[in-house]
Amino acid sequence: MPLFRKTLYATDFSPLAEVALDYVKKLKEAGEEEVVVVHVVDDLEVELPEGTDLIREKEVFKILPEVDQEYVINLIEKLNAIKEILEDEGLKVKIYLRYGNIPKQIVAVADEERVKLIVMGAHGKGLLSELLLGSVSTDVIREAKCPVLIVKRREE
Amino acid sequence: MLFEKVLYPFDMRKASLNVKPYILKLKEAGCREVHMVYVLLPSEWGLITKEEFDCEEKIEALRSAMNEGFVMGLLKIFRKMKEIAKEFEENGIKTRVVLIPGELDEALAWYANKYQINLVTLGVTSESLSIFRVGKILEIIKAVTQPVLVVKTPEEEDGEV
Repeated sequence: MPLFRKTLYATDFSPLAEVALDYVKKLKEAGEEEVVVVHVVDDLEVELPEGTDLIREKEVFKILPEVDQEYVINLIEKLNAIKEILEDEGLKVKIYLRYGNIPKQIVAVADEERVKLIVMGAHGKGLLSELLLGSVSTDVIREAKCPVLIVKRREE
Repeated sequence: MLFEKVLYPFDMRKASLNVKPYILKLKEAGCREVHMVYVLLPSEWGLITKEEFDCEEKIEALRSAMNEGFVMGLLKIFRKMKEIAKEFEENGIKTRVVLIPGELDEALAWYANKYQINLVTLGVTSESLSIFRVGKILEIIKAVTQPVLVVKTPEEEDGEV
């Protein structure tokens, strides 16, 4: 059964996200063939339409202030570094850099790409404050149609 | 080691049964041991001492303290879980079926730590994750320190197994 054939790896480039990446790599042994790597930004100097694709919508990049352009270039470099790591593992990789609400965009890409599983790290702080504030991981768990693998911060 | 020992909480619902194929698939990624756990909630277990009921003899010994119907109910759950667990054994995954009394979050977190579990699985319904009911599931995710695989089942497809 192709239960893990295509996974979405949501990263915020934190150490915890690196731990989650180990799980993404390990899932290759359970039939994973393709990984969709996603990072979502919500902190640019300018407001963009929800869901803007900062890699594929080239004209949007051109209108960004210089500081945002540098920031976006840096993020794309980080995504490409992860892409390379996963390709070295023999996986097919696609990267996304989206603008907007973080959980909403992770779930949107998961739906568009019809992934079988979402893998992501969950920072304890977010989970503890969830009932009052909401958090990325809990919103993803709540909204995703596919299974979600949550990797937690171990030192807690 | 990432998926070697898996904790599989089971509540006799189809939503938790739907986790089984994922665990079987994880065998290819190193799953060697499954702990299939049914948590006896306080409303169900009343005065049972905190013990791991992992064989019929231990459950039958409860007859001295609990009524017959209750003990028979536990035996029915245990046997059903053993039956479901057969597929793991047939696929070369060592399996332990156990009933433990306690609150869901505390009992699962305690068990996961005691047996050095690598992954906790949770079979839930979409409805149980709605904004009004997400509390219980979140409590479990918060309580355990291990990675958690959440598998959702639409409410209309859920039911007793």
